[in-house]
Amino acid sequence: MDTQGHAAQLGTREVAALVREDSFHKSLYTDPELFDLEMRNIYGRAWIYVGHESQVPEVGNYHATRLGDQDVIMVRGTDRKINVLYNRCAHKGLKLVHDGSGSTGKFFRCPYHAWTFKLDGSHLSAPLRNAYQGTCFDPKHPDFSLRSVARVDSYRGFVFARQSDTGPELREFLGGAISFIDNMCDRAPEGEVEVAGGVFRVLMRSNWKMMYENVIDSMHPLATHESTFNAARQKAEELNARPLELNIMASLGAPYEFWEQLELKAYDNGHGSMQDIFGGGNLAEDPVASALYEALSQVHGPDRAQQIMDTNIHNSVLYGSGMLQTTYQQFRVLRPLSVDRTLLEVYVFRLKGAPKEVFRRAISFANVSFSPASNVMPDDVDFYRRCQEGNMADGGDWINLHRYAGQDREERGARIAATGTSELLMRNQYQAWKSFMSPQAS
Amino acid sequence: MLSNDTLDLSVDCLKEARLEAGDYDALCQFIYGEARLLDARKFEDWLGLWAEDGMYWVPSDPDQVEPYEHISYFWEDRHLRDVRVRRLLDPTAWSQQPSTYTARLVGGVSVDGVDHDGHLVASAAFQITEFHRDETRHLAGRYTFKLRQKDGAWKIALKRVDLANAGGLQENFEVFL
Repeated sequence: MDTQGHAAQLGTREVAALVREDSFHKSLYTDPELFDLEMRNIYGRAWIYVGHESQVPEVGNYHATRLGDQDVIMVRGTDRKINVLYNRCAHKGLKLVHDGSGSTGKFFRCPYHAWTFKLDGSHLSAPLRNAYQGTCFDPKHPDFSLRSVARVDSYRGFVFARQSDTGPELREFLGGAISFIDNMCDRAPEGEVEVAGGVFRVLMRSNWKMMYENVIDSMHPLATHESTFNAARQKAEELNARPLELNIMASLGAPYEFWEQLELKAYDNGHGSMQDIFGGGNLAEDPVASALYEALSQVHGPDRAQQIMDTNIHNSVLYGSGMLQTTYQQFRVLRPLSVDRTLLEVYVFRLKGAPKEVFRRAISFANVSFSPASNVMPDDVDFYRRCQEGNMADGGDWINLHRYAGQDREERGARIAATGTSELLMRNQYQAWKSFMSPQAS
Repeated sequence: MLSNDTLDLSVDCLKEARLEAGDYDALCQFIYGEARLLDARKFEDWLGLWAEDGMYWVPSDPDQVEPYEHISYFWEDRHLRDVRVRRLLDPTAWSQQPSTYTARLVGGVSVDGVDHDGHLVASAAFQITEFHRDETRHLAGRYTFKLRQKDGAWKIALKRVDLANAGGLQENFEVFL
């Protein structure tokens, strides 16, 4: 392996050497061969989020998306179970349905030659069947059916799929990160959430791993978002009030001491979380939060309601899938497209049984924070792109992650950072990357 | 939250608008002038075109009927428009170095009617060419305005921007469309 960001031969040891305890080689952002290997070794082996069960409520409802570099269809079967199939007709290979949501009825019918398939992918019919007599055409042979992704499982409605037959089960893979999904769902008085209110789809011209770093990077807002928090703070001073929309932007300008005291928790497989930064649990100041607390109290009693409302996570990373924001019910899903292109999908969740204003608040949060027209995101997205460009220059080979390295502590199955400005969560992501990419060496 | 949820956003059931001679030309000039202020980056002058309770709205879905339970690219009251302008003019708006420049073509202004609150509803087709860092992006769609008279001038109560590719894959929007 040379140091110019091009891996000629990617042996396990060479790949393992690209990640150190406190830094990683820039080729992880720039090398197309490494990207291809990631698609096999990470997206081909890990549990990756496909979609939410609420997107396919009825038999025959489907949602087509990407699982790594593979087009797949999540579909509700006739037995009401969720199937995940590769989006390829078994005849000529036509991409069977377009990306996004729809309904196919009782079976899939390829529009090219009218081959049909059951909702579990098995072959149903092909026209003028007699023509296949005396050939090895066999409707029971898997070659003539839609292929299923190896494993599908879900947790509280969040559907994940794994392309390999072997590996840990979903709950084991998520480990402590399952608490992020729990916190979002527990906020619903009925204990369930549903996708609602549309989706933002944003193209980012950068490697998929950059955003996973940025969303738990507490050292960037003060520099990156200066124009945004300046404008919002001036406005809040003029109004002598900090409504939600302004608070989201103004909070980014909190001093370093604020970020230092945040709790960062890292779990196996690259998952991790950063504590809330918007005061989302402050019942006294947020009428929407207190309305939700009241609704939860009626179901669970005040102690449990308080416990749920006190668990406020800003961003949490489900590595390989996306970033949950549980306090405001957002899930930003990352779909890698190529070494320097990433699709971001922003989903908003409705808490079943919650007061109407809770969902309205989630919509406002999405508009202000995660819209491609937000005043916050453009600077982040621009900087990912500039990192992509900058790392093509021969100005150095390593990305450093040294902040508070070696000072983490273990606590009840999580690694806790020394302070909120530690780069623990990034180091944790790259150690997971190394384990996936070079399983024998790690 | 800042969003104004009292404004009637619908354009159904409009009454017929009766314009005096010359009013249509004045309406066109207002709509062209609004576009020109944005192209000229005279954002502070542009803010002055708005009614106090006016809302700027860019839906994220072609058939979107409301902005409260569905996400929007932009849903901005006067305070949020003002925040955006301040950011655009701030030298630390890093993604605006250099600034986005736009040129828009607005045409086919149609008078659609008068709504329940007496707003004149007008719409027009637009094309925007955006130029940013050696890259050119083309956007197109339809503007819908709800306008009210104040002190002898039109004020914008609603500007709805329906992008032809509203449901599509997007990159950053930073300036007003």
